[in-house]
Amino acid sequence: MARLLAAVSVAVIVAGIAGPAMAQAVVPARDLIENPANLDGDVVTVEGELIGDYGFRSDGTMWTQLNDDSYARRPLVDGGPRTGANVGIGIRMPARLAEDLDPPGGYRVRGPLVQATGVWRYHDPARGGESYLEVTELVVVESGRALDEGARPVPLIAGALLVLVAAWTFLSYRKVRDRL
Amino acid sequence: MRPDADDFRAIAFYLGRIFLVVAVAGILPLGWAAIGREWGPFSSFLLMIGVYGVLGAAMVRVCPEEQRLDWGHGMVVVATTWLLVPLVGAIPFVLSGHFVSPLDAYFDAMSGITTTGLTLVQDLDHLAPSLNFWRHLLHFLGGQGIIIAALVMFAGGGAMTLYYGEARDDLVLPSVRSTARFIWSAAIVHLVLGLALLGTLAWVVLGFSWQRSLFHALMLLFAAFDTGGFSPQSTSVGYYHSAIFELGVAVFMVAGALSFGVHFALWRGPRRELLENLEMRTIIASFLGTLAVTAVGLGALGLYGSAVGLGRQAYFQVLSAHSGTGFATVPSAELARWGGLAFGGMALAMALGGMASSTAGGVKALRVGLTIRAIADEIRGVLLPHGAVIDRTYHQFQRRQLTDQLAKSVMTASLLYVALYLLGTGVALAYGVPLQAALFESVSAAANVGLSVGVTDATMPALLKVVYIAQMWMGRLEFVAVFAMVGFLWSIVRGK
Repeated sequence: MARLLAAVSVAVIVAGIAGPAMAQAVVPARDLIENPANLDGDVVTVEGELIGDYGFRSDGTMWTQLNDDSYARRPLVDGGPRTGANVGIGIRMPARLAEDLDPPGGYRVRGPLVQATGVWRYHDPARGGESYLEVTELVVVESGRALDEGARPVPLIAGALLVLVAAWTFLSYRKVRDRL
Repeated sequence: MRPDADDFRAIAFYLGRIFLVVAVAGILPLGWAAIGREWGPFSSFLLMIGVYGVLGAAMVRVCPEEQRLDWGHGMVVVATTWLLVPLVGAIPFVLSGHFVSPLDAYFDAMSGITTTGLTLVQDLDHLAPSLNFWRHLLHFLGGQGIIIAALVMFAGGGAMTLYYGEARDDLVLPSVRSTARFIWSAAIVHLVLGLALLGTLAWVVLGFSWQRSLFHALMLLFAAFDTGGFSPQSTSVGYYHSAIFELGVAVFMVAGALSFGVHFALWRGPRRELLENLEMRTIIASFLGTLAVTAVGLGALGLYGSAVGLGRQAYFQVLSAHSGTGFATVPSAELARWGGLAFGGMALAMALGGMASSTAGGVKALRVGLTIRAIADEIRGVLLPHGAVIDRTYHQFQRRQLTDQLAKSVMTASLLYVALYLLGTGVALAYGVPLQAALFESVSAAANVGLSVGVTDATMPALLKVVYIAQMWMGRLEFVAVFAMVGFLWSIVRGK
């Protein structure tokens, strides 16, 4: 019985240590930006919103940006809180991984939330010193969705009235000037 | 003498005209928002145009007769214009919700119009394209000169004063109006060329859709040719991950840092001017010098594993710093790690700046060249036998005499820039910012560069934001108009 308990205990401890390594822990993009050399060459997973453009290049790769900030979950346009500037990294992947992705994030779109796994390349000599994530696996966590800001009636009405006042004032100035 | 009603009328008349010009310019982002069906930004642009329009029309209505503008009034008009235009121009930023406070929105509007490029915007990557367009159009209006735009539309009695007040030097053509037209023509030609070049690169090399290629090309062109530094994405030019695209952008950064006199020589000759011009020689030497210092510094830090990587990153960052553009291909957190010689090279490049009468900021290559020349002449005078004749001429479009008065004035202006750099550094130090970062950010603001090592942030103290705003304003106007305005305000208070 004692041997069985000891064996179970060892198995639990080993699983506790090895488990996270096998499951590939998610690394915040901020860590890659602030301490980029620490994970150079390591396989990491970063979670965030694909944003900006999908650049499909002639070498069969696709470049885009992955933002890992509060706006990736809830953009300002969608009523999200202001938490500072965007935090993002460049990512490159084989074009086939990007074939069925929703459009990238922007003003009208919250782009797809993904978990991108790949090798973090810091100052890659093969790419003229660029830093980026070389993605080999992409999992869509949440689909992209449309955003709508809507009109702002008060500035709209106030602006229209002011433009009318300005036009009237300017025309009256022209009349006075022409008389002089 | 305390200013009387006629003084205020004269100032109001020209301020009003300039506001009307900016109101007309505001129709561009309004149209963009309408076409893109961005109704939130559309309403804020309409409000902005309304405020510009009412202010402008009311000011010219107060004084319907064209006034003659003396030197002092002209300078006050220029200084006030550069304070008030961004104030009203910040309205769409405030209403967008992308700024923590109206002060932050004003910071960005001032940064835009002074072609600095420091930003406090939140969630830039989800910003409406029309608002992004307005940010970059501010660069274009400020870089080419709002006053110049007004002069193109209606020259008046004070054209000369207004022209010089906006930190311009010699006229390229015989009259202010024809010079103003040339400056805007040069900008339009670069705009067309840039759209074609950068748009094609973005479409073919980067693989963007053609609509997005044109969008990126237009934004980057405004920011590069006007040495601004805003970019449509949060990671600046690093977003594009392409050496060829960076090279395309660099062409327009260089064009922006050249004086309009040099542009004129390039267009209509004589092209040998480029080889003889003191300012041209100075800027080439200072660029190569600061690039070498930065590259050696980066090599010593061991940050880059290859010479190509080191060379590419050093070249782009130093060019961006020296031309006053402020684009970056590395994050600000990484730029903050560029210590030692690399920091020295970058800070020096920013401080020296581009050419006089260009869209760049900083001390300016002409002043640097003349200062070195004056010091060299002094040393020569000591070393040569008594009575020896020293050639005190230099070539700047024509043979000119380096008089003691000129030497004194360029050295005074250079010292004022140093004082401005130290002002922002001191305030940031007082708030606990480390010396290197404080100096870097202050030089970046005062020289209208826009590179950041992370100090510029919405959470920084309000006073520091105000100081950076003042630095951007004073650095852009090169002090004279600012001093004239302070003198005018003083005369209102003291009556003399």
